[in-house]
Amino acid sequence: MWQYILRRFTYMIFTVWIISLITFAVIQLPPGDYVSTMVSQMINSGMDELPPDFEQEVRAQYGLDQPIYVQYYKWMRNIIRDGEFGYSWIYRRDAKDIMVERLPASFAISAFSVLFIWMIALPIGIYSAVKQYSLADYTFTLIGFIGLAVPNFLFALILLFISYKYMDQAMIGLYSQKYETAPWSLAKFWDLVKHLWIPVVIIGTSGTAGLIRTMRANLLDELNKPYVDTARSKGLSETTLLWRYPVRHALNPFISTIGWILPSLIAGELIVSIVLNLPTSGPVIFNSLMDQDMYVAAGFILILSTLTVLGTFISDLMLALLDPRIRLS
Amino acid sequence: MTTPLLEVTDLKIHFFTDEGVVKAVDGVDLTIERGKTLCLVGESGCGKSVTSRAFMQIIRKPGKLVDGSMLYRFKKDDGTDEIIDLAKLDPKGKPIRQIRGQEIAMIFQEPMTSLSLMHTVGQQITELIRLHTGATKHEARNRAIEMLQRVGIPKPDRLIDEYPFRLSGGMRQRAMIAMALSCNPTMLIADEPTTALDVTTQAQILDLMLELQNDYGMALLFITHDLGVVAEIADDVAVMYLGKIVERSDADTIFNNPKHPYTQALLRSIPKIAMQRDELEPIKGMVPSPFRRPVNICQFQPRCNQRFEACSRVEPVSTLINENHSVRCLLYEDVAAVHQADTEAVAHG
Ligand SMILES: Nc1ncnc2c1ncn2[C@@H]1O[C@H](COP(=O)(O)OP(=O)(O)OP(=O)(O)O)[C@@H](O)[C@H]1O
Ligand SMILES: [Mg+2]
Repeated sequence: MWQYILRRFTYMIFTVWIISLITFAVIQLPPGDYVSTMVSQMINSGMDELPPDFEQEVRAQYGLDQPIYVQYYKWMRNIIRDGEFGYSWIYRRDAKDIMVERLPASFAISAFSVLFIWMIALPIGIYSAVKQYSLADYTFTLIGFIGLAVPNFLFALILLFISYKYMDQAMIGLYSQKYETAPWSLAKFWDLVKHLWIPVVIIGTSGTAGLIRTMRANLLDELNKPYVDTARSKGLSETTLLWRYPVRHALNPFISTIGWILPSLIAGELIVSIVLNLPTSGPVIFNSLMDQDMYVAAGFILILSTLTVLGTFISDLMLALLDPRIRLS
Repeated sequence: MTTPLLEVTDLKIHFFTDEGVVKAVDGVDLTIERGKTLCLVGESGCGKSVTSRAFMQIIRKPGKLVDGSMLYRFKKDDGTDEIIDLAKLDPKGKPIRQIRGQEIAMIFQEPMTSLSLMHTVGQQITELIRLHTGATKHEARNRAIEMLQRVGIPKPDRLIDEYPFRLSGGMRQRAMIAMALSCNPTMLIADEPTTALDVTTQAQILDLMLELQNDYGMALLFITHDLGVVAEIADDVAVMYLGKIVERSDADTIFNNPKHPYTQALLRSIPKIAMQRDELEPIKGMVPSPFRRPVNICQFQPRCNQRFEACSRVEPVSTLINENHSVRCLLYEDVAAVHQADTEAVAHG
């Protein structure tokens, strides 16, 4: 058991490290850097007389003239040692401050999406399997396919349109006005929760559809296993026996799916937030990538990826708790 | 003749599949006596498992019990008998659930998959005990340990907290038996309980079951296609072919004086008995596809070495050739008539 956890934990650390490497490398990939973006902006805005070694100086000032591995080393060192994520050239603030401002809403949306998905997918998946080929099963399947097929951004646009047209109020934003700039508090969090359901529903729908299929298929497999006959031959009622045996077994792969659901949730959150203009990480990441504001982009991507990996780690732990075969091996 | 514990008449179970209707059990008559062992034998796929599952109403989809009665003589607390037709009970209802596990218990073929690997042996046994006896957790646990000890499991107080995947096949099957017997059932169904085990373990489990039957006095329906096992344990034998019982009698009669050509062929096909006579021979021909079973003629006729012209025209009925021996074969329908005439003559005296 502990060995299993230790092994998973080691994988997790290793994965995060690889992710940090890739993130840093990918952000450097586009030609030019922030300084060249800045220079061209200055020229565009009418400044034609720049000192000849201006570019060089700025680069040196930001450490951009050093080899990429040195830059990477310094970046990681500052994160690990001081919790500093570098400086945002666009916002002219510490990247960390922007992240503290934006990330909680992203976490909240993702976490609530997971809850939403589970709460819907689990009972419907079980019901569809038990009543296989019933009208309800077919209906859920149909709705599920629609949910899978409609892209998040389209779904968001449709909701946006409906809310403009029929509710006199756009379902945009995450906070009421009075909390918009207020510091974090319980009241602000509650306000957030009240606004959260729109992005949560949009992001959660496709995941729900997928997970209903998973749960239904898992359970259908389990329902015909001999241990179910054994349980039935004891005289247990159908409901007791369903929850105690096949559902318990079917939960296993269901929990493993958190691993693949989290990244798609994060990606979904980014897109939906851009469309609905939510004050989460999405728009910031998008802009920082466009403008090569590399420390902001790298910081966000690193934290979000780490959280995804952490989610997978938690699902591994839950698996171990649930399944004695993993726990005892 | 004593009053039977279970009297099955004209039991029919059909599977309604997309490809057509499979008549897996097609008019089975059986009686099981209190405290006796009935062996149900027959080739793979002839419907033994489906028949036995019907007694507990645990037939799998798309199977349906379409006809027949299963009269179960239930002994009430005050000592009187109540006759329950198991066929009429709702498979999800309370009455059948009270019979399952408590009156009729079942041991399945696959000890590897018949226990849940996610629950400890103890959880699975105490659950049954508590369900039917209302025992406390503690009492149920003690009872479970006692049962595990009884079936010959070493260190039962340790093993009770083990998960089945940490046990050998033989140990699992012992745990299965302990579970099945933990509520003192009146009847035990064992569906090929030793097929999945190695030969040594097979013999041990078989001995154990015989011993337990002696101690607990339950009726045993033992399903197997191993006639060697049958010779060892059976009081009565029913031979099944394609969803019907083709011959039925006490074990002595079946082994020494088999009447149905199929029974005779079966006996010739087992090494232990046939070898001495140097005439081991497998039954020729194949079991026909379940969708293409001949109707209204003798089912066994295509493979029969004693068939005659009428066999492909007339469907034989089950005939009593003496009071404890019935055969479903045209060869004996005249004999039965004669027997009947004889008894009538005696009666008229
Ligand atoms: N789920 C099912 N769908 C369709 N037909 C089925 C189903 N289950 C059983 N049958 C039919 O019932 C017949 C009898 O099956 P059963 O399991 O009772 O055989 P058996 O005598 O126990 O054989 P074995 O010795 O292999 O256990 C099979 O030939 C099969 O055609
Ligand atoms: Mg079988």
